[in-house]
Amino acid sequence: MSEHDNVDLKPTPGARLTKFFKRSDVIQSTIFGVIITLVFVILGGKFYTQWMPTIMSTDMKAIERLMVVFTWIAAPVCGVVLGIALYTFLNRHSGDTPPPDGPATRTNGPVVLGWSVVTSLLALVAVIYGITEMNSSSIATAKHAEDAMVVNVVGNQWVWSFEYPELGVQSHELMLPVNRPVAFHVTSVDVNHSFWPVQLGVKVDANKLAETLADTTPTKLGEFDVKCAELCGLYHAYMETTGEVMTKADFDNWVIEQGGHTA
Amino acid sequence: MTTLDQHVGTRPIPNPKNSLITRLNVGTGLIVGIIFAIATYQGLAKVLDTSVYHLHNQVLLATMFMWSIGFLVGIGAFIGPIRWLIGKDLTAEEQLYMAGDGQGIKRYFKYCTDHKVVGIQYLWGVIAMLAVGGIMAMMIRTNLANPGGKFITPSVYNSLVGLHGITMIIALIIVATGPFGNFIMPIMIGAADMAFPRLNALSWWVLFTAIPVLCSAWFLGGIPTGWTAYAPLSVQAGPGMNAFIAAIIIFAVSTAVAGANVTATVVTMRAKGMTWNRVPIFVIGATTSVALAIPAFPTFMLSMIMTAMDRSFLTGFFDANVGGTGWLYAHLFWIMGHPEVYVILLPGVAIIMEVVPVFVRKPLFSYTAAIVGFAGITGLSILVWAHHMYISGWMPMLNGPFMVTTEMISVPTGLIFLVILGTLWNGKPWLKVPMLGVYAFLWNMLVGGITGLYLSDVPADMYLHGSMYVTAHFHYTLMGAALTGAVAGLSYWYPKMTGHMLHERASYISFWLVQIGFQILYLGMFIAGAEGQPRRVVDYAQQFATSNMVSTIGAYSIGIGFIILLWAVIHSWRHGKIAPMNPWGAKTLEWTVPYPVPLVNFDTPPVVTSDPYGYGRSAK
Repeated sequence: MSEHDNVDLKPTPGARLTKFFKRSDVIQSTIFGVIITLVFVILGGKFYTQWMPTIMSTDMKAIERLMVVFTWIAAPVCGVVLGIALYTFLNRHSGDTPPPDGPATRTNGPVVLGWSVVTSLLALVAVIYGITEMNSSSIATAKHAEDAMVVNVVGNQWVWSFEYPELGVQSHELMLPVNRPVAFHVTSVDVNHSFWPVQLGVKVDANKLAETLADTTPTKLGEFDVKCAELCGLYHAYMETTGEVMTKADFDNWVIEQGGHTA
Repeated sequence: MTTLDQHVGTRPIPNPKNSLITRLNVGTGLIVGIIFAIATYQGLAKVLDTSVYHLHNQVLLATMFMWSIGFLVGIGAFIGPIRWLIGKDLTAEEQLYMAGDGQGIKRYFKYCTDHKVVGIQYLWGVIAMLAVGGIMAMMIRTNLANPGGKFITPSVYNSLVGLHGITMIIALIIVATGPFGNFIMPIMIGAADMAFPRLNALSWWVLFTAIPVLCSAWFLGGIPTGWTAYAPLSVQAGPGMNAFIAAIIIFAVSTAVAGANVTATVVTMRAKGMTWNRVPIFVIGATTSVALAIPAFPTFMLSMIMTAMDRSFLTGFFDANVGGTGWLYAHLFWIMGHPEVYVILLPGVAIIMEVVPVFVRKPLFSYTAAIVGFAGITGLSILVWAHHMYISGWMPMLNGPFMVTTEMISVPTGLIFLVILGTLWNGKPWLKVPMLGVYAFLWNMLVGGITGLYLSDVPADMYLHGSMYVTAHFHYTLMGAALTGAVAGLSYWYPKMTGHMLHERASYISFWLVQIGFQILYLGMFIAGAEGQPRRVVDYAQQFATSNMVSTIGAYSIGIGFIILLWAVIHSWRHGKIAPMNPWGAKTLEWTVPYPVPLVNFDTPPVVTSDPYGYGRSAK
């Protein structure tokens, strides 16, 4: 606390910087910061891969990757904030009288400027990443506009119904063939609902007398959950059903079983 | 009686004989309010058939508004304006009486214009609301401890979710600007009172009338819509929804009055020499917050008036069958809703910034950056509302622009962090309870901010929207950051407000129980959200069992912590260690006045020659 306050303005910037990085508080804060950054990079990424559900579509894959990348972007911010906070916390003053005054630093132009630039750049990276993802998702939507299988999704309190107009099938379970793009046309007959096939990584609200769209391509065989993500009244919690991504052959069999016709 | 000794010594207690104001108090307010309500209900029920849905809504809404007006009549809120209109303004003695001069504890139950009395009224109002909202949270978490919880029924659960939400939102909007903005802020800027003392009393008592209205929802079938009250669910909802609508409209009137008053006070009543760059940062934060509320809340009021009309006159603003749309409601709501979270956050941030220099004994680092941070957040916050509507299907093309504005908010928020960290740097913090709050704030705001980054991103929000992850995120910002800031402010200013120190050991224990419980609760909730548990559900699948159990354990820890804090606040009010005039060695003006604070605060108006952050030895 003592030596660094007397840094004179006389030495060259390079020498001052060298001296700055030799200060014990700088070294300690930096060590804390680096450790915290690494912890966030490793554990933060793992948090999402560990807890988010099985990836069953192209969209879900992109979302999970995005969560991990954003954690990496945020990690150095956590390192700086928590590194400094932790150092000062450990060097606290206890007792019933106030500590002696610290240095009367009012501001530090380069620090404020540097901080603003770096946080702006990080925000910019996040924005660019997000827009790129949105863009590739829109491109996929446009590409599959013709060949996607249409599923009309209807929410009513508190049941999901699925209609396959091209196949003449109706169901309360969402069956999908693997690797075939699917377009959901979602609507509601009463209040707002939100159609959420969890493992497929898409979600869109169901509004009365309006049709909202979502699309994805299931990539993995297996069961998934369909939930409602918008409070829709008394049994909102129970407005859920299951779905399954199946092979083309199994799906065709299911369609015929349901009295439909295969395309 | 002790409060006004200094004045009472020099002149008699004002006693305006035969003046109506001496006979009015909260009791007469309740009586007149209830009479108005009963008369309205009985009268209208005779002409309107209450078994018809929309007519019943008309009757109930009219009853609630008439209760509010009746209460204000009964407590004497309109005496001043009426006397002024008929050309017989209140005499000086009556005005002094109205300021509560020489009335001891009674003035807390009257239409009292003293800003310090209003501050204490707000404080206990906030504590009561937080207690009620907290008990509701405990009931919610108890039911969610295990899958298939049978503690409460789905109907009660949905009501609790809505009531907990709106109670806490209202409490947090006023948690800092109510008690501290009224009691402390005028002293901080060297003013004798607020610019409009009668409006100040009005803002509190109008708010007060909203509380029974909101509570009545419980007896009218609850608020089954969550605090967002999305249409058409709100139009479908039972009579309890009227209570929500009326409470919000009344509350919006209160915030408009308070917002205008605080802004006018800070703009016009600063002490001589207190130029804008010498204003304490808490004053800046609180003013920014209420100034942001002034444009925000009218749209809330508007959305509620439209909901009320849909329910009472079947207008169909939000009814798709007759050409309306729920998206319109969502827009009006979030145009209020996103500025509103910053209305809550900014005063908490400002308290933290006020506390750091005092306990680190260093000047606030880059006052300019703090101002730019507040201004940047305020400006951007009115341009981000549709990030709540990414997946609503309303206009997917506009998701990109709203994502950009939302992520830009991280830049001014970063400046807020810089100011706090820069002040901490090179310092040796005096780790009293308010300073502990600073560390809790830093951690909670960091977690809240970073999880906000994921949510601001459109593709990630496709997955996270409407899940428990969102619930955890906004509790980190509103509770973890804003409420932590307010609690730090309470322990910081408690000596000035009560003349006693807040029980230190109890506050330490409370702090750790609350903060550790908080991390446990919301870590569990982040996991449940990432796993895919929707929010506002009364029940959930077995796979979420562990994370929900963890959350419930954390919640109980918070509950116990806050009970201890409540005990400390009540106990120390009379029995705490007597506080010196300036226990923390701070340099803002409120610490230059004695306790009890004189009626007009300063014997001689202070003159300010520098900003209040002149700590520190000079570098040379």
